[in-house]
Amino acid sequence: MVAETNESMVAGSSSENILEVRDLSVRFPIVEGPDVFAVRDFNLAVKPGEFVGLMGEPGCGKSTAAMSFLGLVRPPGVIETGQINFAGDDILKMDEETVRQMRGRDIGMIVQNPRYSLHPMMRVGDQIANVYRAHNDVGKREAWEHAVSMLRMVGINDPERRVKAYAHELSSGMAQRVLIAIALSSQPKLLIADEPTSGLDVTIQAQFLDQMWDSCRQASSAVVLVTQDLGIVANYCDRVVIMHEGTIVEDADVYTFFESPQHEYSRRILQLQREAQEAGDAVLGKIDRTAPPILEVKDMSKLFPIRGSESKVHAVEHADFELRPGECLGLVGESGSGKTTIGRCVLRLVEPTQGEIVFQERNIAEIRPNEFRKFRGDLQIVFQDPLDSLNPRWTVHQVLSEPLKLHTNLSPEEKEQRISELLNLVGLEPSMRFALPREMSAGRQQRASIARAIASNPDFIVLDEPTSALTPETTAEIIQLLMDLSAKLGIAYLFISHDLTTVKYICHRVVVLYLGQIVEVGTKDQVFNQPRHPYSRALLSSHLFPDTANRRVDREVRETLEGEIPSPITENLPKGCYLYGRCPSQVDKCRDLPQELTKLDDGRSVRCWRVAEGDLPDEPAAH
Amino acid sequence: MVWRFIAKRVAIALLQLIGISLVVFFLIRGLDADPVARIVGLNATEEAVKQATESLGLHEHQLQQLGNYLGIFSSSGKPGIVQGTLGESWVTGSSILEEVTRFLPITLELITYALIIAFLLAMPLGMSSGTRPGGAADRFTFVWGLFAGSQPEFWWGLMFVFVFFFVFQQAGWPSAPAPLGRLNPFLTAPESITGFIMIDSLLRGRFDVWIDAGKHLMLPVFTLVFVVSGPIVKMVRQNMLRVLRSDYILYARSAGLPRQKVARYALRAALAPAMTLTAIIYGFLLGGAVPVELIYSLGGIGEYSIRSILNLDFPAIQGTVLVIAMVSLVIYLAIDILHAFLDPRIAF
Repeated sequence: MVAETNESMVAGSSSENILEVRDLSVRFPIVEGPDVFAVRDFNLAVKPGEFVGLMGEPGCGKSTAAMSFLGLVRPPGVIETGQINFAGDDILKMDEETVRQMRGRDIGMIVQNPRYSLHPMMRVGDQIANVYRAHNDVGKREAWEHAVSMLRMVGINDPERRVKAYAHELSSGMAQRVLIAIALSSQPKLLIADEPTSGLDVTIQAQFLDQMWDSCRQASSAVVLVTQDLGIVANYCDRVVIMHEGTIVEDADVYTFFESPQHEYSRRILQLQREAQEAGDAVLGKIDRTAPPILEVKDMSKLFPIRGSESKVHAVEHADFELRPGECLGLVGESGSGKTTIGRCVLRLVEPTQGEIVFQERNIAEIRPNEFRKFRGDLQIVFQDPLDSLNPRWTVHQVLSEPLKLHTNLSPEEKEQRISELLNLVGLEPSMRFALPREMSAGRQQRASIARAIASNPDFIVLDEPTSALTPETTAEIIQLLMDLSAKLGIAYLFISHDLTTVKYICHRVVVLYLGQIVEVGTKDQVFNQPRHPYSRALLSSHLFPDTANRRVDREVRETLEGEIPSPITENLPKGCYLYGRCPSQVDKCRDLPQELTKLDDGRSVRCWRVAEGDLPDEPAAH
Repeated sequence: MVWRFIAKRVAIALLQLIGISLVVFFLIRGLDADPVARIVGLNATEEAVKQATESLGLHEHQLQQLGNYLGIFSSSGKPGIVQGTLGESWVTGSSILEEVTRFLPITLELITYALIIAFLLAMPLGMSSGTRPGGAADRFTFVWGLFAGSQPEFWWGLMFVFVFFFVFQQAGWPSAPAPLGRLNPFLTAPESITGFIMIDSLLRGRFDVWIDAGKHLMLPVFTLVFVVSGPIVKMVRQNMLRVLRSDYILYARSAGLPRQKVARYALRAALAPAMTLTAIIYGFLLGGAVPVELIYSLGGIGEYSIRSILNLDFPAIQGTVLVIAMVSLVIYLAIDILHAFLDPRIAF
């Protein structure tokens, strides 16, 4: 099936394809040991105007392949064999100067890590101007003015000032837009985008991909989009190409791919996601809503002072929420929304500025640190990066012994037994008992982290982006594990994540944060299917679910937010509603009217006076 | 912003200088050594020892000695540091400030020329070795680094004297002058303006001196260049390798920038660390160029400080340490400002 698809593509008239790669192999010489072929026997054809998603697990060679379409390889790699035909001509046979001229003019490139892809010591304007001058015979001043107009085109406000900025002075979203300005300025026939949105927040990601999609469709440019994100592929691509160990193993149009994936890898990632969803739905409804809450947070705020300044960073403002035993509460929001700070305040890893945290009927925000220590066993945390949060010199056995030593009175034999039990609970093989963190895969490391958190039999665990550093495949496995544990042990979770897909699987209720404020609290169904607050609506609409049923590019209205989240410093904060200036539903009154979190009839709470007064229509979300 | 940064750094430097002078002052007095015996000799009478001790002011309490040195609450009535003098040498009796200003420029001239040449040599060499690892430039750098790094500089200095002076002279080829100072004894040095003999001779229009001084400086400068270029070349090479693998160079290439432009992007990023290293070596060589100064009998500040230490000439030791520290601090400040100018990520 796979070979057939490839052949039929390649067999077609070659002038029909804008890009045609044949039998490409890229070799990386290794000093000790045999050379590595990052890409081998790679065949791909792209038609003009087509959006192709190039997917695969990390290390499968997809970035190397994408880079080689320009005839480039990261040193010390070399293109060993193959043809890269662009509009019928083999790039690898052209002389250096001809290829040089084609790069950036006919083939545009947008890369991962936008800020690292700009020279750190040069003004962005000069860099845009240099690229423009490399392909156009213009003077310095004209190129500089062109740079200003390019920045204006990609929606950067105050381009006259930004053009003089350096890469480190831009946010990643803005830097990414600078790159898109460079890449699209010459209306290339082919655009290669290598994980262009990794590290961006969902609303910015949606803004960016929409812009790319629109400009490319207008210029009928073809796009090769390298990604790991099923959501992006489902929502933007026409065709999906799966890479595995350096070669293409599946090539299908996007609808066929999601309906009936062929290769083992594709089936596995899609199936894991489906299973996780089903399991999540099964767990729901088991929560006893009449039971007293296990954790209650009342009017909690955290302000960080800024050195040498009167103003403060308002990380969290007046947070109120509660958790029942066995419940999973999702905390979602973009970077800078204060979700991580809330998680740390609850455990007093960061001291809250004000407010109460009631746990086991005690206000743990006020007890002395010494006394608080005995609560630590009942309040645990799992961090984002498993490798960073495990001592690199400790074996799994040592890692798990420590909480047992601190929080239990088990005898040595009982401890050994408990460790075996823990390994079994989190699905680690007994052979991993004496493994060091770096000897394990990221998924196993995270399992060890989770085992450490549950070792002391806690009632409550903060999960701080536990899956953000993992591949989609491992993410699905870890989510599954967390749900199993919650069902078996009755642990309540505070699940912090910017990834709404995982939140949707695992959480019973969801708290939406914006600029340190809770803007909406409701059940999963309420927030995901019928969000009320304008910010929740935009956030949900911007999120790309791995589902081809209602693709973002097919929607008539793509709800999104203007601009970027402001930094939460005292003088930056809006006087009235914090969303004022970005909100699609704002009226003049919102500017000066501070918003209160108001409980609605259906049980949820929303911080928007227009919603509370029934001003805004109550319609289902677009996705 | 820049001025506030400089003012702050100068203030810190002053504190550092005060700290350094105090530490040196008490450290040398804590030595188990008797400067008086060194001056009056072993067979001196008790009377002579007492007299010498009193004339050096060593009979007083250490804090009073410090006061005399600093020129605050002085009991001798002589001026101290605060009045802008470093005192008089116990051995020669002349002003230390005068001696230091005579010897310091000799060293400064030697190492300034050496490091400018080393830097100019290391940049292209390091860049081409970094661009083509394993290429001709890279192999040359490797062999050179092996030679220059495996033997101390005094050995190389002696070797160069042997080859370029002795062997060449024996063979009847044009050879380097004898390693006996900065000038042919038959020439008189021009009156000092900057203390740099090459510059002074030009300013005074003495071209004969300029040529002769150049010949005399040739070998010592070459020796230093030979030895210190190695680490700078390696630094540039390493940086170049790192920069060439960076995302922004790959991106610049993928955007179709011409070759020279990409090279300039890379140079820009590789320049700053190499400059910092050069400045650090400069600071080190202020006192560390002694072997070369000695071999070529240049009589620089390093040689002067060694002599002062051997003579237990306390005021001279204190003076040299203070002046060398001051010069290093100025150099570091200058390089920090230059660095911040090159790299916008550094905020004052």
